[in-house]
Amino acid sequence: MTCAWASRTGDTLINYLYYIPNTIATAILSLLHINLPQLNYLLTWVIASVMLIIVIMVNVIIFIYVERKELGRFMDRRGPFVVGPAGFFQNFADAFKFLIKEMILPENADALGFNSTLVIIVASSLMIMTVVPQAPDFFYTNPDLGLLLAFAIFAIEPFAVVIAGWASNNKYSLLGGFRSTAQMMSYEVPMLITIISVVILAGSFNFSTIVNFQSSHVWFVIPLILGFIVFLIAIVAEIERIPFDTPDAEAELVHGWMTEYAGIKFALFQLTSYVRTFAGAAIMVLIFLGGWTGPFLPPIVWFYIKVYAVFTLFVWLRASLPRVRIDQVLNIGWRSLLPLSLFNIVIAALLRISGVFH
Amino acid sequence: MSSAAYLPVLIFAVISVLFVLVSFFVSALLRPTKREPLKETTYECGEVPIGDTRIQFHFQYYMFALIFVIADVLTVFLALWAFNFSAGFTPVNILMFVFTGLLVAVVLYALKKEEIIWI
Repeated sequence: MTCAWASRTGDTLINYLYYIPNTIATAILSLLHINLPQLNYLLTWVIASVMLIIVIMVNVIIFIYVERKELGRFMDRRGPFVVGPAGFFQNFADAFKFLIKEMILPENADALGFNSTLVIIVASSLMIMTVVPQAPDFFYTNPDLGLLLAFAIFAIEPFAVVIAGWASNNKYSLLGGFRSTAQMMSYEVPMLITIISVVILAGSFNFSTIVNFQSSHVWFVIPLILGFIVFLIAIVAEIERIPFDTPDAEAELVHGWMTEYAGIKFALFQLTSYVRTFAGAAIMVLIFLGGWTGPFLPPIVWFYIKVYAVFTLFVWLRASLPRVRIDQVLNIGWRSLLPLSLFNIVIAALLRISGVFH
Repeated sequence: MSSAAYLPVLIFAVISVLFVLVSFFVSALLRPTKREPLKETTYECGEVPIGDTRIQFHFQYYMFALIFVIADVLTVFLALWAFNFSAGFTPVNILMFVFTGLLVAVVLYALKKEEIIWI
Protein backbone atom coordinates (compact mmCIF):
# COMPACT_ATOMS: atom_id res chain seq x y z
CA MET A 1 0.00 0.00 0.00
CA THR A 2 1.21 3.46 -0.76
CA CYS A 3 1.25 6.18 1.79
CA ALA A 4 -0.09 9.69 1.60
CA TRP A 5 1.90 10.94 4.57
CA ALA A 6 5.56 11.57 3.98
CA SER A 7 7.88 9.83 6.35
CA ARG A 8 10.10 12.30 8.12
CA THR A 9 11.87 9.78 10.27
CA GLY A 10 15.50 8.93 10.06
CA ASP A 11 18.37 7.88 12.24
CA THR A 12 20.57 10.84 11.35
CA LEU A 13 18.43 13.34 13.27
CA ILE A 14 19.70 14.87 16.50
CA ASN A 15 17.68 14.03 19.58
CA TYR A 16 17.36 17.45 21.20
CA LEU A 17 16.25 16.04 24.53
CA TYR A 18 19.64 14.29 24.70
CA TYR A 19 21.85 16.67 22.72
CA ILE A 20 21.13 19.88 24.68
CA PRO A 21 21.58 18.31 28.16
CA ASN A 22 24.71 16.54 26.99
CA THR A 23 26.17 19.83 25.73
CA ILE A 24 25.34 21.57 29.01
CA ALA A 25 26.75 18.71 31.09
CA THR A 26 29.97 18.59 29.07
CA ALA A 27 30.36 22.36 29.36
CA ILE A 28 29.86 22.32 33.13
CA LEU A 29 32.29 19.44 33.64
CA SER A 30 34.95 20.99 31.41
CA LEU A 31 34.65 24.27 33.36
CA LEU A 32 35.24 22.34 36.57
CA HIS A 33 38.09 20.33 34.96
CA ILE A 34 36.46 17.01 35.79
CA ASN A 35 36.86 14.16 33.35
CA LEU A 36 34.51 11.42 34.49
CA PRO A 37 32.31 9.74 31.85
CA GLN A 38 29.96 8.36 34.54
CA LEU A 39 29.39 11.81 36.02
CA ASN A 40 28.80 13.21 32.55
CA TYR A 41 26.21 10.48 31.90
CA LEU A 42 24.45 11.13 35.21
CA LEU A 43 24.45 14.90 34.82
CA THR A 44 23.18 14.63 31.23
CA TRP A 45 20.20 12.52 32.22
CA VAL A 46 19.45 14.66 35.27
CA ILE A 47 19.28 17.77 33.07
CA ALA A 48 17.24 15.84 30.50
CA SER A 49 14.81 14.78 33.26
CA VAL A 50 14.36 18.36 34.40
CA MET A 51 13.79 19.42 30.79
CA LEU A 52 11.18 16.71 30.30
CA ILE A 53 9.39 17.72 33.50
CA ILE A 54 9.32 21.33 32.25
CA VAL A 55 7.90 20.18 28.89
CA ILE A 56 5.20 18.18 30.67
CA MET A 57 4.36 21.09 33.01
CA VAL A 58 4.05 23.58 30.15
CA ASN A 59 1.71 21.19 28.36
CA VAL A 60 -0.34 20.63 31.51
CA ILE A 61 -0.77 24.38 31.98
CA ILE A 62 -1.91 24.76 28.37
CA PHE A 63 -4.19 21.71 28.74
CA ILE A 64 -5.95 23.17 31.76
CA TYR A 65 -6.36 26.52 29.98
CA VAL A 66 -7.65 24.85 26.79
CA GLU A 67 -10.04 22.69 28.78
CA ARG A 68 -11.48 25.67 30.66
CA LYS A 69 -11.91 27.72 27.51
CA GLU A 70 -13.43 24.88 25.51
CA LEU A 71 -15.73 23.82 28.34
CA GLY A 72 -16.80 27.42 28.58
CA ARG A 73 -17.67 27.49 24.90
CA PHE A 74 -19.51 24.16 25.14
CA MET A 75 -21.56 25.54 28.04
CA ASP A 76 -22.21 28.85 26.28
CA ARG A 77 -20.02 31.00 28.50
CA ARG A 78 -16.58 32.51 28.09
CA GLY A 79 -14.31 30.63 30.44
CA PRO A 80 -11.57 32.46 32.38
CA PHE A 81 -10.84 35.95 31.01
CA VAL A 82 -9.81 38.20 33.90
CA VAL A 83 -6.23 37.27 34.83
CA GLY A 84 -3.69 37.90 32.09
CA PRO A 85 -4.29 37.94 28.31
CA ALA A 86 -7.57 36.06 27.64
CA GLY A 87 -7.37 34.62 31.13
CA PHE A 88 -4.23 32.61 30.46
CA PHE A 89 -2.68 33.32 33.87
CA GLN A 90 -5.72 32.04 35.76
CA ASN A 91 -3.94 28.68 36.20
CA PHE A 92 -0.91 30.36 37.74
CA ALA A 93 -3.15 32.25 40.14
CA ASP A 94 -4.87 29.01 41.13
CA ALA A 95 -1.57 27.20 41.54
CA PHE A 96 -0.24 29.97 43.78
CA LYS A 97 -3.40 29.85 45.84
CA PHE A 98 -2.96 26.10 46.35
CA LEU A 99 0.67 26.70 47.26
CA ILE A 100 -0.15 29.03 50.16
CA LYS A 101 -2.93 26.84 51.58
CA GLU A 102 -2.38 25.11 54.88
CA MET A 103 -1.55 21.41 54.78
CA ILE A 104 -3.76 19.34 57.06
CA LEU A 105 -3.25 15.78 58.21
CA PRO A 106 -6.67 14.48 59.28
CA GLU A 107 -6.99 12.83 62.67
CA ASN A 108 -6.40 9.07 62.80
CA ALA A 109 -4.91 9.18 59.30
CA ASP A 110 -1.88 7.05 58.62
CA ALA A 111 0.79 9.67 57.91
CA LEU A 112 3.13 7.33 56.06
CA GLY A 113 0.44 5.95 53.76
CA PHE A 114 -1.17 9.37 53.36
CA ASN A 115 2.01 11.08 52.14
CA SER A 116 3.98 8.32 50.43
CA THR A 117 1.12 7.36 48.12
CA LEU A 118 1.03 10.95 46.91
CA VAL A 119 4.70 10.69 45.92
CA ILE A 120 4.11 7.35 44.18
CA ILE A 121 1.09 8.59 42.24
CA VAL A 122 2.73 11.82 41.02
CA ALA A 123 6.11 10.26 40.25
CA SER A 124 4.70 7.25 38.41
CA SER A 125 2.41 9.46 36.34
CA LEU A 126 5.28 11.70 35.34
CA MET A 127 7.35 8.63 34.48
CA ILE A 128 4.94 7.51 31.74
CA MET A 129 6.17 10.28 29.46
CA THR A 130 9.80 9.11 29.65
CA VAL A 131 9.13 6.19 27.33
CA VAL A 132 6.69 8.02 25.05
CA PRO A 133 8.61 9.67 22.19
CA GLN A 134 7.23 12.98 20.93
CA ALA A 135 9.15 13.21 17.67
CA PRO A 136 12.11 11.41 16.08
CA ASP A 137 14.26 14.33 17.24
CA PHE A 138 12.60 14.82 20.61
CA PHE A 139 12.37 11.86 22.97
CA TYR A 140 13.73 10.95 26.38
CA THR A 141 14.37 7.26 25.78
CA ASN A 142 13.01 4.97 23.13
CA PRO A 143 13.35 1.41 24.45
CA ASP A 144 12.39 -1.66 22.44
CA LEU A 145 9.51 -2.46 24.78
CA GLY A 146 8.35 1.16 25.12
CA LEU A 147 4.64 0.48 24.64
CA LEU A 148 4.64 -2.30 27.23
CA LEU A 149 6.68 -0.26 29.70
CA ALA A 150 4.36 2.74 29.29
CA PHE A 151 1.35 0.66 30.26
CA ALA A 152 3.27 -1.05 33.07
CA ILE A 153 3.98 2.39 34.57
CA PHE A 154 0.38 3.43 33.85
CA ALA A 155 -0.86 0.54 36.01
CA ILE A 156 1.09 1.52 39.15
CA GLU A 157 -1.39 4.22 40.20
CA PRO A 158 -4.43 2.13 41.33
CA PHE A 159 -2.42 0.38 44.04
CA ALA A 160 -1.35 3.72 45.48
CA VAL A 161 -4.91 5.04 45.15
CA VAL A 162 -6.46 2.28 47.23
CA ILE A 163 -3.78 2.78 49.91
CA ALA A 164 -4.45 6.55 49.85
CA GLY A 165 -8.15 5.92 50.36
CA TRP A 166 -7.47 3.56 53.25
CA ALA A 167 -4.87 5.79 54.90
CA SER A 168 -6.93 8.98 54.98
CA ASN A 169 -9.50 7.42 57.33
CA ASN A 170 -12.50 8.81 55.51
CA LYS A 171 -15.40 6.74 54.25
CA TYR A 172 -15.66 8.72 51.02
CA SER A 173 -11.96 8.28 50.36
CA LEU A 174 -12.11 4.56 50.98
CA LEU A 175 -15.07 4.08 48.65
CA GLY A 176 -13.35 6.20 46.01
CA GLY A 177 -10.17 4.17 46.31
CA PHE A 178 -12.05 0.89 45.92
CA ARG A 179 -13.96 2.20 42.94
CA SER A 180 -10.82 3.51 41.30
CA THR A 181 -9.05 0.18 41.63
CA ALA A 182 -12.04 -1.78 40.35
CA GLN A 183 -12.42 0.54 37.37
CA MET A 184 -8.73 0.47 36.48
CA MET A 185 -8.72 -3.31 36.73
CA SER A 186 -11.67 -3.78 34.42
CA TYR A 187 -10.39 -1.40 31.77
CA GLU A 188 -6.80 -2.60 31.89
CA VAL A 189 -7.68 -5.82 30.05
CA PRO A 190 -9.52 -4.42 26.99
CA MET A 191 -6.90 -1.69 26.65
CA LEU A 192 -3.98 -4.13 26.68
CA ILE A 193 -5.74 -6.48 24.26
CA THR A 194 -6.32 -3.54 21.92
CA ILE A 195 -2.67 -2.53 21.94
CA ILE A 196 -1.79 -6.17 21.25
CA SER A 197 -3.79 -5.93 18.02
CA VAL A 198 -1.61 -2.97 17.07
CA VAL A 199 1.47 -5.01 17.91
CA ILE A 200 0.27 -7.86 15.69
CA LEU A 201 0.10 -5.48 12.72
CA ALA A 202 3.30 -3.55 13.43
CA GLY A 203 5.31 -6.44 14.84
CA SER A 204 7.01 -4.41 17.54
CA PHE A 205 6.50 -2.82 20.94
CA ASN A 206 8.71 0.12 19.96
CA PHE A 207 6.87 3.39 19.39
CA SER A 208 9.14 4.53 16.54
CA THR A 209 8.69 1.25 14.69
CA ILE A 210 4.91 1.45 15.09
CA VAL A 211 4.84 5.03 13.79
CA ASN A 212 7.15 4.23 10.88
CA PHE A 213 4.97 1.26 9.97
CA GLN A 214 1.88 3.47 9.95
CA SER A 215 3.73 6.04 7.89
CA SER A 216 4.63 3.45 5.25
CA HIS A 217 1.24 1.72 5.29
CA VAL A 218 -1.86 3.39 6.72
CA TRP A 219 -2.91 4.86 10.06
CA PHE A 220 -4.08 2.03 12.29
CA VAL A 221 -7.31 3.89 13.00
CA ILE A 222 -8.55 2.81 9.56
CA PRO A 223 -8.09 -0.99 9.70
CA LEU A 224 -8.61 -1.16 13.46
CA ILE A 225 -11.50 1.31 13.84
CA LEU A 226 -13.14 -1.01 16.36
CA GLY A 227 -9.95 -1.15 18.39
CA PHE A 228 -9.70 2.63 18.26
CA ILE A 229 -13.18 3.03 19.73
CA VAL A 230 -12.45 0.45 22.45
CA PHE A 231 -9.14 2.14 23.23
CA LEU A 232 -10.77 5.58 23.38
CA ILE A 233 -13.37 4.41 25.90
CA ALA A 234 -10.78 2.46 27.91
CA ILE A 235 -8.29 5.33 28.06
CA VAL A 236 -10.98 7.80 29.19
CA ALA A 237 -11.84 5.32 31.96
CA GLU A 238 -8.19 4.80 32.86
CA ILE A 239 -7.45 8.50 33.22
CA GLU A 240 -10.73 8.90 35.15
CA ARG A 241 -12.28 11.72 33.22
CA ILE A 242 -15.99 12.38 32.89
CA PRO A 243 -18.07 10.28 31.88
CA PHE A 244 -16.03 7.67 33.75
CA ASP A 245 -14.92 9.68 36.78
CA THR A 246 -16.84 7.57 39.29
CA PRO A 247 -13.89 7.40 41.74
CA ASP A 248 -14.20 11.11 42.44
CA ALA A 249 -17.84 11.67 41.60
CA GLU A 250 -18.68 14.98 43.26
CA ALA A 251 -22.36 14.21 43.56
CA GLU A 252 -21.84 10.91 45.38
CA LEU A 253 -18.43 10.91 47.10
CA VAL A 254 -17.30 14.40 48.02
CA HIS A 255 -14.11 14.22 46.00
CA GLY A 256 -13.49 10.49 46.10
CA TRP A 257 -10.08 9.39 47.29
CA MET A 258 -8.78 12.99 47.13
CA THR A 259 -11.23 14.29 49.74
CA GLU A 260 -8.77 14.67 52.62
CA TYR A 261 -5.87 16.03 50.60
CA ALA A 262 -5.51 19.79 50.93
CA GLY A 263 -3.35 22.56 49.51
CA ILE A 264 -0.35 21.58 47.44
CA LYS A 265 -1.24 17.89 47.66
CA PHE A 266 -4.57 18.50 45.97
CA ALA A 267 -2.86 20.66 43.35
CA LEU A 268 -0.42 17.84 42.64
CA PHE A 269 -3.28 15.37 42.21
CA GLN A 270 -5.05 17.68 39.78
CA LEU A 271 -1.79 18.08 37.90
CA THR A 272 -1.33 14.31 37.86
CA SER A 273 -4.71 13.78 36.27
CA TYR A 274 -3.71 16.13 33.44
CA VAL A 275 -0.30 14.47 33.10
CA ARG A 276 -2.09 11.16 32.66
CA THR A 277 -4.44 12.76 30.14
CA PHE A 278 -1.43 14.03 28.20
CA ALA A 279 0.19 10.60 28.28
CA GLY A 280 -3.01 8.87 27.25
CA ALA A 281 -3.59 11.25 24.35
CA ALA A 282 0.05 10.91 23.28
CA ILE A 283 -0.08 7.10 23.30
CA MET A 284 -3.35 7.16 21.37
CA VAL A 285 -1.84 9.49 18.76
CA LEU A 286 1.26 7.33 18.44
CA ILE A 287 -0.41 3.95 18.06
CA PHE A 288 -3.54 4.87 16.12
CA LEU A 289 -3.25 8.28 14.51
CA GLY A 290 0.10 8.07 12.79
CA GLY A 291 2.15 9.76 15.50
CA TRP A 292 4.36 12.58 14.32
CA THR A 293 4.02 11.95 10.58
CA GLY A 294 2.37 14.53 8.40
CA PRO A 295 3.09 16.82 5.48
CA PHE A 296 4.94 20.19 5.45
CA LEU A 297 5.22 20.84 9.18
CA PRO A 298 7.99 19.52 11.47
CA PRO A 299 7.20 16.22 13.27
CA ILE A 300 6.91 17.77 16.73
CA VAL A 301 4.28 20.23 15.48
CA TRP A 302 2.24 17.42 13.98
CA PHE A 303 2.52 15.46 17.20
CA TYR A 304 1.17 18.33 19.27
CA ILE A 305 -1.58 19.16 16.76
CA LYS A 306 -2.83 15.60 17.02
CA VAL A 307 -2.47 15.48 20.81
CA TYR A 308 -4.49 18.66 21.21
CA ALA A 309 -7.11 17.36 18.78
CA VAL A 310 -7.48 14.21 20.88
CA PHE A 311 -7.62 16.32 24.02
CA THR A 312 -10.41 18.39 22.47
CA LEU A 313 -12.26 15.12 21.90
CA PHE A 314 -11.85 14.31 25.61
CA VAL A 315 -13.21 17.75 26.53
CA TRP A 316 -16.09 17.24 24.14
CA LEU A 317 -16.94 13.93 25.82
CA ARG A 318 -16.76 15.65 29.20
CA ALA A 319 -19.04 18.46 28.10
CA SER A 320 -21.70 16.32 26.47
CA LEU A 321 -22.01 13.07 28.44
CA PRO A 322 -23.38 12.52 31.95
CA ARG A 323 -21.48 10.48 34.51
CA VAL A 324 -21.97 6.72 34.26
CA ARG A 325 -22.91 4.77 37.39
CA ILE A 326 -20.19 2.57 38.87
CA ASP A 327 -21.87 -0.78 38.18
CA GLN A 328 -22.61 0.36 34.64
CA VAL A 329 -18.94 1.32 34.22
CA LEU A 330 -17.83 -2.16 35.25
CA ASN A 331 -20.48 -3.83 33.11
CA ILE A 332 -19.40 -1.85 30.04
CA GLY A 333 -15.79 -2.81 30.68
CA TRP A 334 -16.30 -6.51 31.15
CA ARG A 335 -19.35 -7.37 29.08
CA SER A 336 -18.95 -5.06 26.08
CA LEU A 337 -15.36 -3.94 25.68
CA LEU A 338 -13.68 -7.28 26.40
CA PRO A 339 -15.55 -9.20 23.63
CA LEU A 340 -15.14 -6.23 21.26
CA SER A 341 -11.39 -6.03 21.89
CA LEU A 342 -11.04 -9.77 21.26
CA PHE A 343 -13.03 -9.44 18.06
CA ASN A 344 -10.63 -6.66 17.12
CA ILE A 345 -7.64 -8.92 17.71
CA VAL A 346 -9.20 -11.52 15.39
CA ILE A 347 -9.56 -8.80 12.73
CA ALA A 348 -5.92 -7.82 13.17
CA ALA A 349 -4.73 -11.44 12.98
CA LEU A 350 -6.82 -12.09 9.86
CA LEU A 351 -5.47 -8.92 8.21
CA ARG A 352 -1.96 -10.09 8.92
CA ILE A 353 -2.59 -13.73 7.88
CA SER A 354 -4.29 -12.73 4.65
CA GLY A 355 -1.23 -10.66 3.76
CA VAL A 356 -2.73 -7.18 3.66
CA PHE A 357 -0.05 -6.03 6.12
CA HIS A 358 3.38 -7.57 6.07
CA MET B 1 22.29 -1.20 24.01
CA SER B 2 19.01 -2.74 25.07
CA SER B 3 19.45 -2.11 28.80
CA ALA B 4 20.99 1.32 28.19
CA ALA B 5 17.59 2.60 27.09
CA TYR B 6 15.97 1.67 30.39
CA LEU B 7 18.47 3.12 32.87
CA PRO B 8 17.45 6.79 32.23
CA VAL B 9 13.91 5.88 33.33
CA LEU B 10 15.30 5.09 36.79
CA ILE B 11 17.14 8.43 36.89
CA PHE B 12 13.90 10.14 35.94
CA ALA B 13 12.11 8.28 38.76
CA VAL B 14 14.49 9.80 41.30
CA ILE B 15 14.10 13.28 39.78
CA SER B 16 10.30 13.04 39.76
CA VAL B 17 10.27 12.05 43.46
CA LEU B 18 12.51 15.04 44.12
CA PHE B 19 10.05 17.22 42.15
CA VAL B 20 7.29 16.31 44.58
CA LEU B 21 9.51 16.93 47.61
CA VAL B 22 10.64 20.31 46.25
CA SER B 23 7.04 21.38 45.71
CA PHE B 24 6.30 20.38 49.33
CA PHE B 25 9.27 22.43 50.45
CA VAL B 26 8.24 25.53 48.47
CA SER B 27 4.74 25.23 49.89
CA ALA B 28 6.17 24.87 53.42
CA LEU B 29 7.98 28.18 52.98
CA LEU B 30 4.79 30.01 52.00
CA ARG B 31 1.92 28.44 53.86
CA PRO B 32 0.76 29.14 57.42
CA THR B 33 0.62 26.38 60.03
CA LYS B 34 -1.96 26.85 62.76
CA ARG B 35 -2.93 23.49 64.09
CA GLU B 36 -6.38 23.27 65.60
CA PRO B 37 -8.21 20.08 66.59
CA LEU B 38 -11.34 21.17 64.75
CA LYS B 39 -9.51 21.48 61.44
CA GLU B 40 -8.17 17.99 61.67
CA THR B 41 -11.49 16.23 62.01
CA THR B 42 -12.42 13.85 59.23
CA TYR B 43 -14.43 15.62 56.54
CA GLU B 44 -17.95 14.32 56.14
CA CYS B 45 -19.79 17.40 54.91
CA GLY B 46 -20.01 18.94 58.38
CA GLU B 47 -21.37 15.88 60.15
CA VAL B 48 -19.49 14.22 62.99
CA PRO B 49 -18.34 10.85 61.61
CA ILE B 50 -20.20 7.91 63.12
CA GLY B 51 -18.16 4.80 63.75
CA ASP B 52 -14.78 3.78 62.50
CA THR B 53 -13.83 3.84 58.82
CA ARG B 54 -11.62 0.80 58.98
CA ILE B 55 -14.33 -1.76 59.56
CA GLN B 56 -14.53 -5.04 57.70
CA PHE B 57 -15.72 -4.18 54.22
CA HIS B 58 -17.62 -6.41 51.89
CA PHE B 59 -14.81 -7.12 49.49
CA GLN B 60 -16.93 -6.61 46.46
CA TYR B 61 -14.48 -7.46 43.78
CA TYR B 62 -13.06 -10.72 45.03
CA MET B 63 -14.73 -12.75 42.29
CA PHE B 64 -13.96 -10.04 39.90
CA ALA B 65 -10.25 -10.03 40.83
CA LEU B 66 -10.14 -13.74 39.99
CA ILE B 67 -11.65 -13.01 36.56
CA PHE B 68 -9.09 -10.24 36.15
CA VAL B 69 -6.25 -12.71 36.80
CA ILE B 70 -7.56 -15.02 34.07
CA ALA B 71 -7.89 -12.15 31.60
CA ASP B 72 -4.45 -10.82 32.52
CA VAL B 73 -2.80 -14.19 31.94
CA LEU B 74 -4.54 -14.28 28.58
CA THR B 75 -3.12 -10.83 27.84
CA VAL B 76 0.43 -11.92 28.66
CA PHE B 77 0.20 -14.91 26.33
CA LEU B 78 -1.38 -12.78 23.61
CA ALA B 79 1.43 -10.23 23.93
CA LEU B 80 4.10 -12.90 23.49
CA TRP B 81 2.21 -14.37 20.54
CA ALA B 82 1.71 -10.96 18.91
CA PHE B 83 5.37 -10.07 19.23
CA ASN B 84 6.45 -13.18 17.30
CA PHE B 85 3.49 -13.25 14.97
CA SER B 86 4.03 -15.30 11.83
CA ALA B 87 1.54 -15.06 9.01
CA GLY B 88 -0.34 -18.08 7.75
CA PHE B 89 -2.48 -20.73 9.38
CA THR B 90 0.36 -22.19 11.39
CA PRO B 91 -0.31 -24.54 14.33
CA VAL B 92 0.69 -21.74 16.72
CA ASN B 93 -2.00 -19.41 15.41
CA ILE B 94 -4.69 -22.08 15.50
CA LEU B 95 -3.67 -23.11 19.04
CA MET B 96 -3.73 -19.47 20.13
CA PHE B 97 -7.24 -18.96 18.78
CA VAL B 98 -8.42 -22.11 20.55
CA PHE B 99 -6.77 -21.01 23.80
CA THR B 100 -8.24 -17.52 23.56
CA GLY B 101 -11.66 -18.95 22.80
CA LEU B 102 -11.49 -21.24 25.83
CA LEU B 103 -10.48 -18.47 28.21
CA VAL B 104 -13.10 -16.10 26.81
CA ALA B 105 -15.78 -18.76 27.27
CA VAL B 106 -14.63 -19.17 30.88
CA VAL B 107 -14.64 -15.42 31.53
CA LEU B 108 -18.07 -14.94 29.97
CA TYR B 109 -19.49 -17.86 31.96
CA ALA B 110 -18.07 -16.44 35.18
CA LEU B 111 -19.51 -13.02 34.37
CA LYS B 112 -22.88 -14.58 33.61
CA LYS B 113 -22.92 -16.34 36.98
CA GLU B 114 -21.79 -13.16 38.75
CA GLU B 115 -24.71 -11.03 37.71
CA ILE B 116 -24.16 -8.16 40.13
CA ILE B 117 -20.50 -7.23 40.00
CA TRP B 118 -20.84 -4.05 42.04
CA ILE B 119 -23.46 -2.93 44.51
